[in-house]
Amino acid sequence: MKYTETRSESLMAAHHGRDQWQRLTLAATKEGRVTGLKVDLLADMGSYIGIVGGGVPVLGAWMFNAIYKFDAYRFTTTQVLTNKAWVDAYRGAGRPEATYAIERLMNELAAEVGMDPLELRELNWIKHEEFPFTTVAGMTYDSGNYEAATAKAKEMFGYDELREEQRRRRESGDPVQLGIGISTFTEMCGLAPSRVLGQLNYGAGGWENAEIRMLPTGKVEVITGTSPHGQGHVTAWSQIVADRLGVPFEDVEVLHGDTQVAVRGLDTYGSRSLVVGGEALVRAADKVVERAKPLAAHMLEASPDDLEFSSGRLQVRGTDKGVTIQEVATAAWAAHDLPEGIEPNLDASASYDPVNFSFPHGTHLCAMEVDTETGRVQMRKYVCVDDVGTIVNPLIVAGQVHGGLVQGIAQALWEEAVYDDNGTLVSGSFVDYLLPTAADTISFEIDHTTSPSTTNTLGTKGVGEAGTIASTPAVVNAVVDAVRHLGVDDIRMPCTPERVWRAIHEAGAGGETTGAAAPHMSPATGMQGTVDRTDGASEGGQQ
Amino acid sequence: MIPAPFEYVAPSSVEEALQALAEHGDEAKIIAGGQSLLPVLRMRLNAPEWVIDLGRIPSLRGVRDGGDHLVVGAMTTHDEVGKDPLVREHALLVSKAVEHLADAQVRHRGTFGGALAHADPAGDLGAPALALDAVFVVQGPGGTREVPATDFFVDLFETAIGEDEILVEVRLPKRAGWGAHYEKFVRVAHQWPIVAVAAAVRLDGDTIAEARIGLTNMGNTPLRATAVEEALVGRPATADGVRDAAALAAEGTNPPSDLNGDADYRRHLATVLTRRAVLTAAGRNGATVPG
Repeated sequence: MKYTETRSESLMAAHHGRDQWQRLTLAATKEGRVTGLKVDLLADMGSYIGIVGGGVPVLGAWMFNAIYKFDAYRFTTTQVLTNKAWVDAYRGAGRPEATYAIERLMNELAAEVGMDPLELRELNWIKHEEFPFTTVAGMTYDSGNYEAATAKAKEMFGYDELREEQRRRRESGDPVQLGIGISTFTEMCGLAPSRVLGQLNYGAGGWENAEIRMLPTGKVEVITGTSPHGQGHVTAWSQIVADRLGVPFEDVEVLHGDTQVAVRGLDTYGSRSLVVGGEALVRAADKVVERAKPLAAHMLEASPDDLEFSSGRLQVRGTDKGVTIQEVATAAWAAHDLPEGIEPNLDASASYDPVNFSFPHGTHLCAMEVDTETGRVQMRKYVCVDDVGTIVNPLIVAGQVHGGLVQGIAQALWEEAVYDDNGTLVSGSFVDYLLPTAADTISFEIDHTTSPSTTNTLGTKGVGEAGTIASTPAVVNAVVDAVRHLGVDDIRMPCTPERVWRAIHEAGAGGETTGAAAPHMSPATGMQGTVDRTDGASEGGQQ
Repeated sequence: MIPAPFEYVAPSSVEEALQALAEHGDEAKIIAGGQSLLPVLRMRLNAPEWVIDLGRIPSLRGVRDGGDHLVVGAMTTHDEVGKDPLVREHALLVSKAVEHLADAQVRHRGTFGGALAHADPAGDLGAPALALDAVFVVQGPGGTREVPATDFFVDLFETAIGEDEILVEVRLPKRAGWGAHYEKFVRVAHQWPIVAVAAAVRLDGDTIAEARIGLTNMGNTPLRATAVEEALVGRPATADGVRDAAALAAEGTNPPSDLNGDADYRRHLATVLTRRAVLTAAGRNGATVPG
């Protein structure tokens, strides 16, 4: 079967993303310490419940608290069917929506209590020595270091200098104002422990499968259930197996996609492939080594207990006697001299069900110039320091980060599925649905800190969605920050020039109002947040 | 998508093209660079039975000196127009508008005459052509006639070209020594302008002696901001000097409302962009005035 659609058909009928109306109430002390959060979502699911469907908003339940410590938390979601296109998982699924809301709200709280928004975050986030940390939402974050990532990002960004420039521009009444946006995000990757999916009434589990075939030629065939569609698994999986088995990278071939070849697997989504599929791969490789040991010992006339495996060789401890695992594979295939009970191959497979999610995090800083005369925004600088645990392939990670950033920035500035009052999609082609190109973005400055995950062998955390999740609030925070002194405290996504200009205009440019008493409304992106002005030590009585 | 089937003819002279047009009449469409027609055909918004390609008529291509004006062949590509030294010297505003017209691929395929004949109010060439008082030469069975720019643009996608006529050349009056700028406002680079302002100014010292202003996408046709032009004469080429005149830019306009902004916002944009275009054309904002 083959299905082909036009771009316009895809824009109209393939699933859309996000579309939540979020009502948040944040309780905090006057000193800026968050004490509680209430989240009430109204999620437009469109006309059908799709693959992940109602699970998308529900995933947010674990993420609205983000990297922050507080004791009181309530999450409710109502999902409605409408006559729009169905809404389903779109890069990040549930986490971008939650991250957007909490990171926007943390900025509003900082403005409300008169603190630097980075300092406010540090006051509230989990300290690196507190890991593992069980959050108010019930997730146990295994590792992380928000201080390290933030310190590095601040340095790269020139945070203090840009704040100084912002101050100068405000004082001189420059028509082009400067804003600084912050997003200290975390997310949950490595979907997923099957028992959790069971609780969400998913049909499937969250395990992953890998098989390794040791061919008589010395080549290694790897079969993965995480079929890639552009994520670079063939390269990364070859690296992992080559490292684990000590064979040349070129000798590894990765097979996937055809269910006649890759019989088991649950595919690529949710930043899971490396964290879950990679661990299955490691376990299968370790099984191959274990299977090779008795035959290698027989070939070397030694006891299996005396063998050590390193750099692809099974070697008798304390001697230079050894065989490569590829030689053992050939000997197994020939089967001319196998010890009793040894089968004539070294092939192995492993299915792995993760014990926990993984929790990459990062600090994203965005400098944005806003032309107050036209409302046009122009990104000046974007720095991100992501902690995605151990990195297998830096180039692939950079590609994921850059692509993810553009996708998240596009949500903040350009892309929007728009329906008219009759329910007709009016953004049905790339004339009206604005997809950015390289000409519209800037060169991002990216770097990393590394806090290895403690729940998988390689220490990986996943990176497929990080940029998309983190960048949207960083960008909108930057736009709002640029014009906050003019009385603006929210701008609906995407921040079109017209919306930015109108926000400035309607705030009464140059006025001193803070607007904080009114709810911050953002219908299209769905945020309606309130930073409560009472002392807010408890969750109750603040609606 | 794939266009509906059509017959294709590529004549080698204007006369042959006119003959084909006479023969097939309203069942035919003329294709120049195809940058607008092809998407229309592919989306099946139009399904002509005949497509007459002007791409093999050498006489329609190129820029030449016509004495007090330049002659731009209708089939000259945007890229050729933009890089042409004569255009740069005598009609700088056109060079400026072509610079950021669509993208490099379109500039290499799309043609000067094709874009003007298409008469998209958001097209980048109408406003400069209007501001410079370009003259459009159209040829029909009875010979050629000249249409001034003010009469050429009739309505949305509608020009003064008759059904049996072909646009063969555009004459640009020479205006050496004028400063020029095309201020285009877009959200993403490859977009049609939300609003754009084409400005050419002649300075006398620091004073604006003469100004020509065209507006893109502020109505069903390109528009001339005559009120601004008149108000600018004798004003100093400074932000304060230009501000009041530029504020008249939206007078008499009828801009569209769409996802990129409503009519009121466009009217506001026109005033800001006009001020910036005039100042840049006058060599302020760091830009230099040639000549």
